[in-house]
This record gives sequence, C-alpha cells and structure tokens, in this order.
Amino acid sequence: MPRVVKTQVEFEGRFYDEYVVIEGEDVPPWSAQQEFSVVGQPQTRIDGVERVTGAAKFTHDIQLPGMLYGKILRCPHPHARIKNINTKEAERLPGVRAILHSANIPKIPWRMGLTLLFDQTLRYAGEEVACVIADEEEICEDARELIEVEYEVLPFVLDPLKALEPKAPKVHESGNLFHNEPEIYERGDIQKGFSSADVTIEGTFRTQTALHNCMETHGSVALWEGDALTIWDSTQHIFGVRDVVAQALGLPKHKIRVIKQYMGGGFGSKNSAGKYTVMAALAAKMTGRPVKIILDRHEENLAAGNRPASIQTLKIGAKRDGRLTAIYHKSVVNVGAYATWGGGTTGPTRRLYACPNMKTEDYSVFTHLGPYSAFRAPGYVEGTFALESMMDELAKKLRIDPLELRLRNYAESDPATGWPYTTKGLRQAYHRGAELIDWQGREAFKRKYSTHTKKIGFGMASQIWGGSGGPPAYALVKINPDGTAVVVTGTQDIGTGTKTALAQIAAEALHFPISSVKVELGDTQLGVYSPLSAGSMTLASVGPAVRVASEEARKQLLDVGAQTLEVPREELEIEQGEFLNRRTRERTPVKAIFEKLENFMIIGRGARGPNPEKKSVNTFGAQFAQVEVDTETGRVTVQKIVAVHESGRVINPLTITSQLEGGIIQGVGFALTERRLVDERTGLVLNASLETYKVPTVQDVPEIVAEMVNLPDPEVNNLGVKGVGEPPIIPTAAAIANAVADALGSRIYDLPLTLDRVLTTRELP
Amino acid sequence: MKNFEHINAPDLETAIALLQEPSAKAIAGGTDLLTEMKDRIQTPALLVNLKAIPDLKFIKEDEKFVRIGALTTLSDLECHPLIRERYPILAQAASLAATPQLRNAGTVAGNLLQRVRCWYYRHPDVNCWLKGGVECYAEEGVNARHAIFGSSPCIAVHPSDLAPALIALDAQVRVVGPEADGELALEEIYRLPDEGLRERMVLGPADLIAEILVPKRPESSRGVFLKAMERATWSFALVSVAVQIDFDGEHVKNARMVLGGVAGKPWRVREAEKLLEGQALTEELAQQVAEAAVAGAQPRAYNAYKIPLTKNLVKRALQKLAG
Repeated sequence: MPRVVKTQVEFEGRFYDEYVVIEGEDVPPWSAQQEFSVVGQPQTRIDGVERVTGAAKFTHDIQLPGMLYGKILRCPHPHARIKNINTKEAERLPGVRAILHSANIPKIPWRMGLTLLFDQTLRYAGEEVACVIADEEEICEDARELIEVEYEVLPFVLDPLKALEPKAPKVHESGNLFHNEPEIYERGDIQKGFSSADVTIEGTFRTQTALHNCMETHGSVALWEGDALTIWDSTQHIFGVRDVVAQALGLPKHKIRVIKQYMGGGFGSKNSAGKYTVMAALAAKMTGRPVKIILDRHEENLAAGNRPASIQTLKIGAKRDGRLTAIYHKSVVNVGAYATWGGGTTGPTRRLYACPNMKTEDYSVFTHLGPYSAFRAPGYVEGTFALESMMDELAKKLRIDPLELRLRNYAESDPATGWPYTTKGLRQAYHRGAELIDWQGREAFKRKYSTHTKKIGFGMASQIWGGSGGPPAYALVKINPDGTAVVVTGTQDIGTGTKTALAQIAAEALHFPISSVKVELGDTQLGVYSPLSAGSMTLASVGPAVRVASEEARKQLLDVGAQTLEVPREELEIEQGEFLNRRTRERTPVKAIFEKLENFMIIGRGARGPNPEKKSVNTFGAQFAQVEVDTETGRVTVQKIVAVHESGRVINPLTITSQLEGGIIQGVGFALTERRLVDERTGLVLNASLETYKVPTVQDVPEIVAEMVNLPDPEVNNLGVKGVGEPPIIPTAAAIANAVADALGSRIYDLPLTLDRVLTTRELP
Repeated sequence: MKNFEHINAPDLETAIALLQEPSAKAIAGGTDLLTEMKDRIQTPALLVNLKAIPDLKFIKEDEKFVRIGALTTLSDLECHPLIRERYPILAQAASLAATPQLRNAGTVAGNLLQRVRCWYYRHPDVNCWLKGGVECYAEEGVNARHAIFGSSPCIAVHPSDLAPALIALDAQVRVVGPEADGELALEEIYRLPDEGLRERMVLGPADLIAEILVPKRPESSRGVFLKAMERATWSFALVSVAVQIDFDGEHVKNARMVLGGVAGKPWRVREAEKLLEGQALTEELAQQVAEAAVAGAQPRAYNAYKIPLTKNLVKRALQKLAG
C-alpha cells in the first residue's frame, strides 16, 4: 500500500519539506563489504556507440515533415517599453507564417508573474519582443529585420550597488532587492566571537558573471496531433517542461508529452521550460504545423541564464592556534532582471567549518541585465572562492600550513544543525590529495622550478555540497520474454552517464549481464515520475528506486522459475541472466521458462525511500592546484589539479572521472578566462560568442589527477551513493586563486585571474 | 545569413570584373566574411569565389624572393619546410593564429585583409563609426582589446598575426585590380581610417592580392614572433611582437620590429629598430629597446596592461634572438 511520508529534501544547498508517496518496501543498503560484478566496475557508456556515430538524436536533430522554424526578435535596449509594433512588412515576406508578439498573444505570466511571455516592458537587452515563424530560418531572419518596433527607452541600472541606492531606476515596481530584504543567517554571538579572537582579517572579493555555453543551445520542437501536444526539448527536467507548458497554455498535463533523449549539456540552465518552448507550442497550434525554435549562440548568451556576479565581504576572527571564533560574510549578487529564488553565496561559509559564531547576509539584487539561472553548484563556487581565499590569508597571517588550518577547524558534525553526518570523507580527501600533489614537498619544488619570470605556486581548497538526492523518484523494471530486462524511469540523461549507471544497478540487482539491460528514459509518456536532473541528485534519487524495482523483478522471476521448473524456490538463483539450480548446478535460460508462459512479462516496481531524519547528508572533497605564473605576460597556466572527492559509493569509476574532469575544466575557465562583458553605456553584452567568451580550450586543460574516496554511505539510500555532478567545480577556482597568490606572494581578490589583472590595471566592468 | 549569389571566378580578370559590381565581395577561406554575414554585419548580394582560380596556391622561390600564392592556407604556410627552416618567424605567426580547423581554411591573403575584431564593430545592435555611425563606442566603453598607438576615430586594432611577421620580413604584395596594380610594400597597404575614408586598406573593393613576395634573407638573419593571448590558443593577439634581425657577427646589422594588437594597423617601431642597429644584444639594450617600443603609447581606461605586456614581449623576443 502506498505510504505518504513527510520528508526534508535538500536542493542546491536549500532545504524543503515535502510530502511524498513511497510504494513498496525499501531494501537494505548494500554493505561496504558487498562484492559486485557490475557496480563499481569501469563501464563504458551503453549508448556510447550511438553518440559517437551520430545516431543519437538531440533536440537539434529533430526534423519533422512540414516543420516550420521560429526566430526571436530581441530588445536592443536594457530597459524599454514597446509603444508600437508593426509587423505588416514582415508578414508580407513570402514564407512567413506567423509573427507572435504582445499585441496578438494572450498575457501568459512568466517567471512567477514578474513578467509575461510577451511583455510590453523589456528589462534587459536581449529580452523577447516577437517571434517570427517561417518556412526557413533565413526567412525568419529577413522578416525579423522588417518588424518595426517603436520603443520608449527607459533609464536603466546595471551595477547592483547602484541599484540598491534609493533613486536608482526600478527593475520591478516592488523594488530592486529580491524579497525586499537580505537573507540573514546567524548562530552564536558574532560580537563575542570577534572580541575573543586573537587575529581578525577582512577582504572583499568580486566574482564575474559566467555564461554556461552548453554545447547544445536551448531549443524546442513542438508538434500538435489533435488536441495532444508533443514537445522535444533540450532540458534537464522533462516533467517540469510539461508542467510549465500545461500551465502557460491552460492544458491538462496528460495532453502534453515531453521528450528529451540526448542533450549537449545543461549545467543548470535547462532546469525548466523556456519562453521558446511555449512560443513553439503556440506557433505550432496557430499554423497547424510542427515548429522548431533553437537559440543561436548569441541569444543563448543573452537570455539563457548565467552564474551571477557577486561582491562578497568576509571577516574572519581566529585564535592564535587557528581555531575560528567568528565569521561575517556579506554577499551582494547581481541576479539580473528576474529571479525566482535567492542567489546567495554564503552556503559554504555556514557549513564548511566548525565556527561557533556567525552571521551571513545575502542580497540578491535586480538589475537590467540578462537573468541568472542555476549554474553548476550555484553560489557555492563563488562562496568557496571567497571563503577559501580568506582561510589562506588567515593561514599566512598565523604562519600555519593552509591544510593544517583547515584540519584544525574540521567540522565533526554539521555546524549549522548540530546533526551528525551520515558519512564524511573530507579528512581522507585532504590526506590523499596532499599525498598525490606532494604538499609537503611543494616549497622544494617551487625553488627548483621557478625562475625570475616564471613563478610556481601551490594552493588548495575544500568542497562541501549536498547531493543526497531523495524522493519522489520511481522506476519500473520489466523482464521481457526473451530474457532481457528494461529499466523504465522518467529521469533524463543530461550527458552525465545516467543511463549507464542505472543499467549497472539493474544488472547487479537482477544478476543479469549488463548487455541484457536496456534503459528507457527521457519521455514523460513512460509515466514513471523522476525529478529534474540538477542539484547532483539524479543517481542518488533514481538509482535506489531502480534497485528496488530490480530486486522485486528478480524475486518474481525466481517465483515463476521455481514453479515452472518444479524445483523448490530456495534451490534456485539467477546468475548471469540464467536460472541456476544450486543443488544440481543445472542452468536454464530465462527465455526457456517464458516460452512456456505465453507472453507473460515480469514488472517490478520501485520507489526512492526518504532520507534519514536528523542527519546531514553532504558530499565533500579537496582540490590542490599547481600553477605557473608568467610575470612578464601575466598569463597563469594551471599545470596540475589533484582532486579527491567523497560522494559515497562509486557506481561507475569511468563516468565519475568524466564528471570530475568536466567540473575541473569548467572551474579552470571560471578561475582564469571566462567573464561576460557588458557595455556600461548601452547595457549590451559584448562577448556573446565563443570567440570572445573564453572557455578553456584543450590546450588550457591541466594534468588532472582525480580520485574518489569510495565510502559507501550506510544511511542515505539503499545504494550508499551521493551525487557528484556539482562537487568537482566547487573548489577549483579557489584552489587556483590560492596557488596564484602563493606564486605571486600577494593576492588578487577578483575573478577571473586574467593577464591584465596579473599585470595590474583598472578593473573591467 | 541573407541570401546571396555565388559565382566561381575562373581567373583573376573575371574576379576583378565581377567585384566591380556594387555589393560584391570576394571570398576565399571565408573564415572572417562568413561570420560577419551570419551576424549581418556584411550583407553582400554577390560572393565571388576565388578558390577556383588555378595557380594561386603555392610556396616557391626564385632568385630574390620566396613567393607565397594568395590562396595558400595558413596550415600550408605553417607546415612548409622552406618556411619553417628559413622564416621561422612566419611559421610561428601562422601556427599561433586561430585553430587548426580555421588555419586549414583561412588563406594568407585573407588573413592580411581581415576585418577588425572590435566587439562594438561586431555587435549586431551597435552602429559604430566604422560601420557608418557617428561614434566609436570603444573610446568611452570597454576598450580592453583596443589601440594604444595611432590617432583615428576608430580605435580597433588590426588583428592579423601574419602581417607583423611579414612586415618584419619586409614583404611585398603583388596586387591586381582597377585601383592598385603592381608590387607594393605590405606595410604600405595599411592605413588608419579617417573621416575621408573609413577603411584600413589602401586597396579598393576589386583590388586583389595575387601573391606575397618575401625577400631572401642573409644566412645571419634570425627572427621571432611572440603573441600574448588570454588562453593557450584560439585567441587574437592582445599584443604580438615580430622581430627580424640580420646579424653581423654578434652585432645587429639591420633590424625590423613590428607590433600587433596595439594599433589600427601593424605597428612598426622605427625608434626601437634604430636603437638596435650596430649594437650587440644585451639585457640593457633590450630594456632600452622595450622602453622605446612603447614610447608615445596612450593607454585607455581598460588597456593600460598592454604597455608592460608590450615591453616584456619585446624584451623576451630580443632575449630569444640573443640566446
């Protein structure tokens, strides 16, 4: 019977209470000593061949008969009101099928009602004004140029500190401060904490706006068949897209099917439906033809989200032996024109170290810039950079080794809640990382390899993040009459290798070879709900449900097998996808049983159970960076990153290494070269292309030594796994910044560490 | 991209005739023009394809010159044994440009004639002075990648890596066309745009570079090309330095030094060249030359870093040639 459970769910550093339905009984966790044949083995991707041969269909690849294309006209001003829009000329162009805009589309609330799908007030340069639907993309572009829009240009504000001034232009009527107040957290007594300190240090850090630049840009294809709508969407959340479109169009959810089989990256920017999704659906309805809207790189970098810039002030008090007595952390984040949740950066400060007295303040400020979105560990990358830079400054001041300082402030229990951790492998990560980079030998290495123009430096930083996953998440496991198995879930593989890991879990629990296991996901029509793939939660949410479903399917299979073979149930087991009679050692293929059973199909069902109560589930890690700074050119070269992380049990060492490497490479870009540049006078983004927005190239990738502390978590779920999607990007920039400070002997407080900053000059906006 | 007509020109004469049509553009590798067309910065009605013209893709030598055909790709140049052996400065410049894919497509002449990368010029929503507007937005804007030398209403820098190296080698270009015909010093085809002509070239729209002539250097000649970039590859030069020196024993007989990324055209630093002549390359001299190289530089709000960067690259280049 289904049980309704109230449980606390963590998502991207925030906690929510939820009611969830749990079906069936959970199974006991695999023990730390459990021996496996598939789980924990390096398994190449089960869909690797499709990916490398081009057979895999991404949203961009969807081509339907009679399909039309859509292109969006965007506002060239950071703040403006549409006085008039004239589409007559554009409509006359042969091949133009429809033009959607504020005058002909109903008011559909968007971003929690802060704006509309087509709003007459535009709050950033790049905001959607109209959408042209035509036979070809080029015709859309030609028509777009013919649309005449008369704008009333309004005053704007781009700088978050200026936006907080009383006379600043208002982004929204309710004011420029999100929720009209900062998010404040306090524990202990901050004043006492600072007065009992032997030393106090303070610093202000600035981090830049970073753009996701997913390989596959955002986009949708919409197709109506009668009153049923199918949407192909490049998304991290097929059910979320369904729900948003249902609400926007006033449709029952069951009339909408959302499909996403393959995706070229999301990194948090694809957590929900886009305006383009709803526009494609509306246009397909209006024209009676399928419609495809794909953002180009320029639009992607204006309107598809970003990691918002922050200004962070940190003050730390400590005893002479390094023990922290107080931390004050104030953070101002430029969330751009819209926000539906606060963009704080103080999470790591609250939770990483055993500091008794603390106050944090997070201000999320609206400005006339492209709105932010989640970006791989939102807030934690920026906050960890500030906190861990400050910890190094403290170490320097106290003449304590940076690693030793961190060990002296090691939190044995969650400093925010006082709860014990289910597992915490941070100490192991510190020690193993120090060993791999030869932390003790670093001064000798620097002396040996530094020259008067090339300075070597070493730095390290710590990582804390959630990643428990949690309910609701459901799975079915079917055993086909031919002896193969199919895992069915409503999750999506956003490129992380979810499909492969779920196949491994199912194969292990079924006692099947992985070649006999297929995974179906990425389609709401499959009907089995799973949450969005974000917050490092996919495997830790869906994986346990798959295991329950597989165990149940295997039990059913044994029941059916024992009766059909007429042997006692306890004499029978499954091995390598076959029945094995333990007494006689006789083997029977599963297929042979089913041949006697017409078309019977076994279906096992599984649900993710709740997380443990009054326990903190966190992932941890430590990264160590070795850099070379060319003091004549200002160029920083990251020579090596050692990364040791703890995220519970490792299901697939191959895909987990890919995750670590990917996160680190993205972290290198954030540390050194990536920043969105905006013209202060026009509010226009200047570097919305891959030529000017500098992501790391293959030549910028350092030597990466990545390891996991394989520490199965006995309490978080029946697999002992926690998430690993976000952790590897969290400490990279901080470790690099600390290494650069070590090399230069002085600290640059702002990211990215570009060569103009190393050579010292005025800051870019 | 806006619709256009595309014609394969069979020979240079036909190409030149076709290019006299208004709104016609020549295309070879297309690595620059196509990106501008995609952003509708340029919307030619006719593209005259030069790639089908025979005998414009070569690297060969005669008594006085190494001759490089206009359609030679940057990859060809980078990999050619003759260039690698005798003009390492040119092989270095070619190998540091763009990416392998772009170098496989981009041609030498196209590289010399490419348009500026200024992010205001390249922005679809900005009508800057160079595009016929009234204002240079970079002057008061984000001018981090812009000029520290030269006086022009447009402060974008010339982006080519090959041009400084070829000018350091005293290269000439053979031009055919209605407005310019014959051999010109490469240095002479570049100009700073002004109110009279918002162009960086003295060449007209139908003038084509047919080949590049690189004079043979004495055995004692050594050259080096250094380029500062924001990342390891696939970036235009923040600053580049091309130096070619003919030595007489340990002493400089004759030096040419050209900077890239610092001015609206490849920037030859004659004062610095003069300081070198007759001297042996010492640390002290390198320091003096570096100072001379940035004499008269006028930094803007965000590009002051180019001054120490230029000085340091000049010093490093001279150290390499001394060593």
